[in-house]
Amino acid sequence: MSLLQRDRDIILSNEYVDNFDFAEVEEFVKNASKNLFISHKFKTNKNKTLVQPRGGFPTYDKMYALYEQFAPVVDVLPMTIDSHTRLNDYGSAAKMLRLSEETETDLLNGYPLINHGYRTTRKMVTHFDTPVSLRHGTPDARLLIELAIASGVFEIEGGPITYILPYSKNFPQDKAFLYWKHVERVCAKYSTLNEPINRESFGPLTATLVPPCITIVIQIAEMLLSLEEGVKSFSVSFAQTGSLNQDLVTSKVLRKLATKYAHQIGVTDATINLVYHQWMGAFPRDKFKSDSLINAGAMIAAMVGADKIITKTRAEAFGIPTKEDNAQAVANVQYTLNMLRGVPSFVDEEEEENLTNQVDEIFEAIFNDKADTLWRKVFNSIKNGIIDVPFSPHIINNNELITVRDKQSNIRIYKKGKLPISEKSFKYEQSKIDLGENPDSVVNQIIHDIGVML
Amino acid sequence: MLIDVGSTYFKVATKNGISHHFRNFDKNIYDDLVFKCGDEIKNYEKEDIQICSSANGGLSTLIIGLTESFSLKYASNIAYNSGINIIETVVYSQIETYPVPSEMLDVVIVVGAIDSVENVYDQTLIDYLDKLNYSNIVYVGSKTQVEFLNKNIENLVILPNIIDNKLKMVEDDLKEYLTNLYQADIMGKEDIKKLYDLTANQIFSTPYIVNQSLPLIHTKLNVADPFIVIDIGGATTDIHYSKDLVDDNIITENEYDRLVFKKLGVYKSRESLVHTAKNNEFVYELLAHLNTTENMLDDKGESATKLLMKLSIFLVLYKISHHHKSYLNIKLDTLNSIVLTGGITKVLDDAEMEDIISFFYKKLLNYDTTPTLVVDKDYAIWTLGMNK
Amino acid sequence: MKVVIGVVGNDIHVVANRLIDISLQSRGYEVFNLGVNTYLEEFIDAVIETDAKVLLISSLNGEAEGWCRDLLVLKDKYKLDDVVFVIGGNLSVGEGDESQIVPKFKEYGFDLVFHQKDLMEGLDELNSFVQSKFGGEN
Repeated sequence: MSLLQRDRDIILSNEYVDNFDFAEVEEFVKNASKNLFISHKFKTNKNKTLVQPRGGFPTYDKMYALYEQFAPVVDVLPMTIDSHTRLNDYGSAAKMLRLSEETETDLLNGYPLINHGYRTTRKMVTHFDTPVSLRHGTPDARLLIELAIASGVFEIEGGPITYILPYSKNFPQDKAFLYWKHVERVCAKYSTLNEPINRESFGPLTATLVPPCITIVIQIAEMLLSLEEGVKSFSVSFAQTGSLNQDLVTSKVLRKLATKYAHQIGVTDATINLVYHQWMGAFPRDKFKSDSLINAGAMIAAMVGADKIITKTRAEAFGIPTKEDNAQAVANVQYTLNMLRGVPSFVDEEEEENLTNQVDEIFEAIFNDKADTLWRKVFNSIKNGIIDVPFSPHIINNNELITVRDKQSNIRIYKKGKLPISEKSFKYEQSKIDLGENPDSVVNQIIHDIGVML
Repeated sequence: MLIDVGSTYFKVATKNGISHHFRNFDKNIYDDLVFKCGDEIKNYEKEDIQICSSANGGLSTLIIGLTESFSLKYASNIAYNSGINIIETVVYSQIETYPVPSEMLDVVIVVGAIDSVENVYDQTLIDYLDKLNYSNIVYVGSKTQVEFLNKNIENLVILPNIIDNKLKMVEDDLKEYLTNLYQADIMGKEDIKKLYDLTANQIFSTPYIVNQSLPLIHTKLNVADPFIVIDIGGATTDIHYSKDLVDDNIITENEYDRLVFKKLGVYKSRESLVHTAKNNEFVYELLAHLNTTENMLDDKGESATKLLMKLSIFLVLYKISHHHKSYLNIKLDTLNSIVLTGGITKVLDDAEMEDIISFFYKKLLNYDTTPTLVVDKDYAIWTLGMNK
Repeated sequence: MKVVIGVVGNDIHVVANRLIDISLQSRGYEVFNLGVNTYLEEFIDAVIETDAKVLLISSLNGEAEGWCRDLLVLKDKYKLDDVVFVIGGNLSVGEGDESQIVPKFKEYGFDLVFHQKDLMEGLDELNSFVQSKFGGEN
């Protein structure tokens, strides 16, 4: 028996898992309808940006109702997992689920997949015969993804960096790399049976003034760590930056370099997709502004030729969206996308060159690290500040990189910390920044920049 | 050939398997080892013999630092992961309230304050050190104090600060020093020094070897992360744990950290083990569950020893759970595996050990099931570490 | 001048923490940032290890009171009367009454208390306080 299988056996003998039948799950995946695989949908829907909303409820009935509402009008259904499950606290999730069912209120902020179990969940997923995407934020997702795949959820979001640095203070980063390696191997294993399981990195990160070079480096790093293990379909993603120009450049460079670096590690047979998140920062409370923001995001997704868009609703500033909020947002996005088929692609070449250089410069430093495995090179790079995510709460993050917006709202590097970008690249960034002499102006600028959509 | 010199017995691994022999304390280690295994040893070249040792209960250290959250925490973490067994800590500002240890210390570690801070230590420290008996002393604190300390302390080893200017831990220098302390210290101990006649390789401390083997543990045992390894031996009880089981805000190279409970050794610290047991509010229920009474604790026979071993499993789990405020707090509910190793695996059988763990999880954590118990009867972990 | 900062208790509001970090640095302070989810004992220990003259605790979720009760005891135990203790953020759940909140936290041992105050105003006030106490050296 392989080591991987032994580990899986132990992990799945968890007290909250009801008798996991490996052979049966493999049969299920092998014979599953192609319509459940987003990897298949990506291949067959070449000219459309797939629309995926957000959502998740604690009880099976409410989740079912959500899918009933969404299935006719969206391309991919979301399965958002609750916070207790993300921290592997299935006991608390069970308790809150029971209370939610009894009191008919939502005491969890997502679907407790482990407690519902895969047999139940699979009934729902297969009924709708639409791809479902697992959205969570789990550092140790080894058990969760098994139940997801067994339920017919064939897209797994997340990664060792994107699910740790934005959320956690001290989950050991090296352990996260190892746990996610396990996840990649399981996904790769299932990918040999039918269409591939798709993995998607979480591009928004802290969604607060993250410079595109950092987003792209982390996206590609997680992609490489996944492709290394045999995953055949991977989505890189990023969130609306707040500058149209920067979104265009980011998507072009991300796609270009993802392919280049995949080839560099010898992987030429994987499909790489691009996913665009609508604005993930502070959302306007004014409904006209929020509608406009959502509209603009849809337009940009079309312009960058995103394979999938993850949408927001006008309720973002207030709380959980109502049925109406959801319906309205999806209709808005689909309508806008429909208007924008066949958009010519154009990009600011100078920006493209600058961003490409920055990403290459950072990767050169990462690959030069003395460690003998890629994950450890990346781990050391985070420790050494070569990768630095603004506003990460994690103790390992270097916190020396400071960014502000320029007059066109592009995110620029003001202080580079230990980022190994060349003098030329850094000068380019600085040349775009226009701040006053007052020492408080940087912070005031940042405060303004964070609230740019308000 | 792999040899482990323990506090109660030798462990020897060859291609023929693993054997262990109780030590004869009337002989010195070298003579005893050669008497018992001399024939086998002759079959191997010095380069092919590896020895590790935790004889005499392992190295002991006293750490004097400024605070619990930084100097003492960092120095203790480094010391435990280097294989040091006994650690006493002293908060410098309260130094007058600490009793002066009378036994011989292998090493004193003085730590505290980032490099830019002045006036950290004064004569109070020197006076305290003068009352101690120690073989080695090392300073890993603020560099502004180096001159003063050098002037007043003989044979002081000075290494870079283990706290950097961002209050993060810097482990490499102190870790290397402590790991090699065995080497340096052994030269001062005739007992173990002679062992270098048998091997051409550096002799490490056993717990260091065990800790190094853990990333590969799942190649030998049915274990999945996160896990804990409880090593219950004659002198102490060690616990190694995956770092995602705690919230300690330290970034280290280690995936697994280590802690030692010196009061839970079944042979060498039997009295303190009994004392700890008697003071635990749940032990009486446990004794009832085991169909025995506290009178057994004071007995000297073999069944009393067995009972004490069972208790030490319970007490270790208790100390690392949220029930016990000091030490550390391990997320016992996210554990995938518990590994038991050490002398205890030769005395208790699997069912007996599972029973205690099950009792603990039911009574104290209100769980219906327990993590998988894996018993390392054949010293797989030790072999793995020695071969690395 | 050295200052220790961080967010107290089970609070993960990292943006404010980082902005305070950058602001203080741009005003010439040497900043030791313990980050979010930090406990009072760690704050005090950091002050001791760095010999900082200022401790600036943030709390954004309104739960500061529960986490800061032992300040006077610790100040006394480690003889920290020479250190400036500041607390700022959202110091009560809901709007709260400043005229009650400020005296309460001063009784807990804080020299400066800022409830829902503008960041720059608060730091200006800190600057003046520090200058008058330590004689205008940054």
